[in-house]
Amino acid sequence: MSASLPTVTLQSGTPLPDSIRSLLGLPDGPVFEFIAAVIASSVIAAALLGLVAVSGIWGKRKITAAFTDRIAVNRHGPFGLLIIVADAVRLLSKELIVPDGVDRPAWDIAPIVMAGSALLGFAVIPMGNGLQIADPEVGLAYVFAVASIASVGLVMAGYSSNNKYSLLGGLRAVAQNLAYEIPLIITAASVVIFAGTLRMSGIVGAQAETLVSVAGIGIPSWYAFVNPFAFVLFMAANLAEVGRNPFDIPEAPTEIVAGWQTEYSSVYFVLCYLSEFIHIFLGGAIIATVFLGGPAGPVLPGVVWFVIKMVAVYLFTQWARSAVPRVRIDQLIEIGWKGMLVLSFANLVLTAVIVGLTV
Amino acid sequence: MSLEDPTSPEADPEPVGVTEDGLDYDALEDLLGDLAIGRESHINAEAFVVRPGDVEEALVTLRDEAGFDHCSCLTAQEYEDRFESIYHLRKYDEPTQEVGVVVPAARENPVSQSANGAFRTADWHEREAYDLVGVEYEDHPDLRRILLPETWQGHPLRQDYDQEQPQVVPLREHANPLKDDHRGIDNSDTMFLNIGPHHPATHGVLHLKAVLDGEVVADVDPDIGYLHRCEEQLCQQGNYRHQIMPYPDRWDYISAGILNEWCYARAAEDLADLEVPEYAQVLRTMSAEMCRIAAHMLAAGTFALDVYGDFTAIFMYAMQDREKMMNLLEDLTGQRLMFNYLRLGGVAWDLPEPREEFFEKTRDLLDDLPERLEEYHNLITSNEIFQMRCIDTGVLEPEAAKSYGATGPVARGSGIDYDLRRDDPYGYYPELDWDVITEDGCDNYARVLVRLQEVEESAKIIKQCVDLLEDWPEEERTIQSNVPRTLKPEPDTEIYRTVEAAKGELGIYIRSDGTSKPARFKIRSPCFSNLQTLPEMSEGEYIPDLIASLGSLDIVLGEVDR
Amino acid sequence: MIGVLKSMATTMKHALDGETFTVEYPEETPEVSPRFRGVHKFSQERCIWCRQCENVCPNDTIQIVTDEQRNGEQYNLHIGQCIYCRLCEEVCPVDAILLTQNFEFTGDTKDDLAYSMEELKNVPWYKDIDPLASREPDRGGWIGEGEGEVDYQ
Repeated sequence: MSASLPTVTLQSGTPLPDSIRSLLGLPDGPVFEFIAAVIASSVIAAALLGLVAVSGIWGKRKITAAFTDRIAVNRHGPFGLLIIVADAVRLLSKELIVPDGVDRPAWDIAPIVMAGSALLGFAVIPMGNGLQIADPEVGLAYVFAVASIASVGLVMAGYSSNNKYSLLGGLRAVAQNLAYEIPLIITAASVVIFAGTLRMSGIVGAQAETLVSVAGIGIPSWYAFVNPFAFVLFMAANLAEVGRNPFDIPEAPTEIVAGWQTEYSSVYFVLCYLSEFIHIFLGGAIIATVFLGGPAGPVLPGVVWFVIKMVAVYLFTQWARSAVPRVRIDQLIEIGWKGMLVLSFANLVLTAVIVGLTV
Repeated sequence: MSLEDPTSPEADPEPVGVTEDGLDYDALEDLLGDLAIGRESHINAEAFVVRPGDVEEALVTLRDEAGFDHCSCLTAQEYEDRFESIYHLRKYDEPTQEVGVVVPAARENPVSQSANGAFRTADWHEREAYDLVGVEYEDHPDLRRILLPETWQGHPLRQDYDQEQPQVVPLREHANPLKDDHRGIDNSDTMFLNIGPHHPATHGVLHLKAVLDGEVVADVDPDIGYLHRCEEQLCQQGNYRHQIMPYPDRWDYISAGILNEWCYARAAEDLADLEVPEYAQVLRTMSAEMCRIAAHMLAAGTFALDVYGDFTAIFMYAMQDREKMMNLLEDLTGQRLMFNYLRLGGVAWDLPEPREEFFEKTRDLLDDLPERLEEYHNLITSNEIFQMRCIDTGVLEPEAAKSYGATGPVARGSGIDYDLRRDDPYGYYPELDWDVITEDGCDNYARVLVRLQEVEESAKIIKQCVDLLEDWPEEERTIQSNVPRTLKPEPDTEIYRTVEAAKGELGIYIRSDGTSKPARFKIRSPCFSNLQTLPEMSEGEYIPDLIASLGSLDIVLGEVDR
Repeated sequence: MIGVLKSMATTMKHALDGETFTVEYPEETPEVSPRFRGVHKFSQERCIWCRQCENVCPNDTIQIVTDEQRNGEQYNLHIGQCIYCRLCEEVCPVDAILLTQNFEFTGDTKDDLAYSMEELKNVPWYKDIDPLASREPDRGGWIGEGEGEVDYQ
């Protein structure tokens, strides 16, 4: 499949570990490659955690407040930004309550699995300016594979908590992820047909050309413009995948208290919370890469554009949260299996036909 | 509906006892025949005394032959020589036509027949009577305590109840509600789930014992009483003139205070035969409708919260609108929730000076209201996902609603055209131009629609009241009539009066014993009866629908538990 | 879908118009109505120790101690127990007990909220609103004496 690949030219093509290795002047060899890879992952992970801290703790409050005519945090430092520090201290210094009868170590591992799976996905995302840890040929498949490991974490959390609400939440999470993972991947596959590659950098590169020129401004051939139907489908399925309104039923605070995370407190809660937000950003990153041209954009450096696109997707989830009711579990499954799946296959076939005819 | 009577209500258009000027109690007495062994006269209606063993037969006869299809309330009380249960019956079509059924029971061993066969609402009402007064009801399907814990010793409204008696119960005697995973040993496919008393969607401290089959609710049993504060007893210890009025604010505390106060005012004024100046009636009407808007706003907001999840925008918008209404009420009454604004024979004070400013503020708010309501319709009712969630879920058929004694927006959402403001007129309502809202959907969606439209109607009423108040001649602004400083109604007068509160028919029964304090003060809470319909609505549906139905009932636990 | 989009448009409109409803207490103190019922203020100079407030109080919040000659010794009011019904103010013939607009009071224990006569005297006016003056126009309607005998004790 890679024979007819167009040669990809990113702003700087080498993966991040290689750049770091040459920057530090480390020689070749597996040990040094490993060290460079660890440094690269740490950089990306730290940047992500920073982003999550700002958006999860501070940003979420401010955004919700904007939708509800309030001000939200504004007394801790400028714009209330120091709430991030205060919250971190507060959450980490709380007592970790381990309920009676939880199934350890499954209960302890679950939050790590969830957070880890989301972080792993970022390994292959090209964030512009050479910020990409690895660029395997099966990048897109890899992303979906690791992201769906989170469902295992959700079931573990739900099942091991010894709480009926958690159990219900865990079961709901599995049902939901099963129903929406498939449309998500099938929809992404239609993009693969266009790009002819699963390699993330290849998909980004394929979107670099100009689609049409309107009044001198070139509209790039992002797949969101080339195949808007797939884009809408993917956005909807992504909401379900990350469990946000109207598909937040695994947590469903007013129905099953907090779903699978009911019994988590302190550090474990932080991990759960982090993993949720990293998941939203991973969803945003996939959408940015697959549909919105990755780091492409005028004037600003690529990485900034990438973050902007990712945050835009995050903002969209928050917007939906403010206005869209939660669907019921049976309705959710029905939409997934009877609606999204059919539509995504139709989209795939249609794309294949069109691509086949035009090429 | 009719059990013994083969003829349907349509075939029997003339219920017994209805004449052109109202009710002919003699005809009713003839109808009951041997069942009636005596007759009492209450201020609101005549009452027939029935033997303890004939309760069901008498009630069924009255229901089927005479059209008394609404068992509004059951009052149990203790006399020196006997116990007594009074069933207050009325008609959904014509609530001014009332009749009481008095069932005496022996002092030593008070037992009488249960009315469950006639009205399903009797279930909880009889449990409450058993719990607080200790009258036992034969053939009751499930005669347990309802407000007090299972382990409680004694019946607190009895005269010989020892208040000093300790109620300490060792932990081992409390059943652990978490212990069993499923109910019924042979049916292990179900899971028992405690929803509440601490749960994000129970609107207070309500405990739902739910049995789930997967996500489907197989059985649900509301467990109430966590907020029981002996309000009836508190009122029995206060004097009529002043000390009772602050308490109604605390039953339905969702800013519906004045509506509740009006219920007490109406009962006590009719009991003591007090006049209320017309000007005060207009003030009462206006302030009560303000309360209704505030209460309905909260109902719509919290319902959205239940369906949307988290603190959604709609909840906050509704709270803002309620806030604005409460600012007006604060200007008028001096408090935002616990108004204590009504007095026997009038209201506590006139409009705040300068009056023009108050009128202007009120008008501004009312002018903004249509726009805000449009926003709610955009946000809630026209949203397809919301419709998907609410239409045809939590269905309450009108017949079931009547049998359970459901009133207020819950009944009107089931197509029952029943509004005491129009049907049993009081205050200034008859002089004003407004409509009763009904919806035939019988589902969660219909109940939300009713509330949102009732806000519009209330706004109409307020607007007309403001116009009236503005043009009221200055010298005729009497806000209180001449009321004796100490009220001592005639001994042994009994009255049961109801008003249309935010959640439905709020009733108060008072029996006086010639002192300045009531001998028996019984509150008929609309939420109490409405909550009883929850199993009817949600069995066989999903948990999210159960939560939505609960939200659409709009219960306030302060009023359910009293 | 139209309805969903309308919902989302409505919330976005609120997000973008920049209006907020928040009151930034304590920097910004809320406006309370002149009739607002806050913590009590007591005037020993005015009080005639008639005990009407003690009698009318629905939940025994006020406790008065006098000597044999009906000279007042103590006037205790448990503001933590008070339900702010304002009946004491309404019944007082000499305006000795008033409810100020002051809603800002704290106590670390329940005992701290049992105010003695001295504490009640020292309650500050809220923003210098004198409730007596602000309520003067309404006072006519307060006490419908009726024909019954006036039961001063």
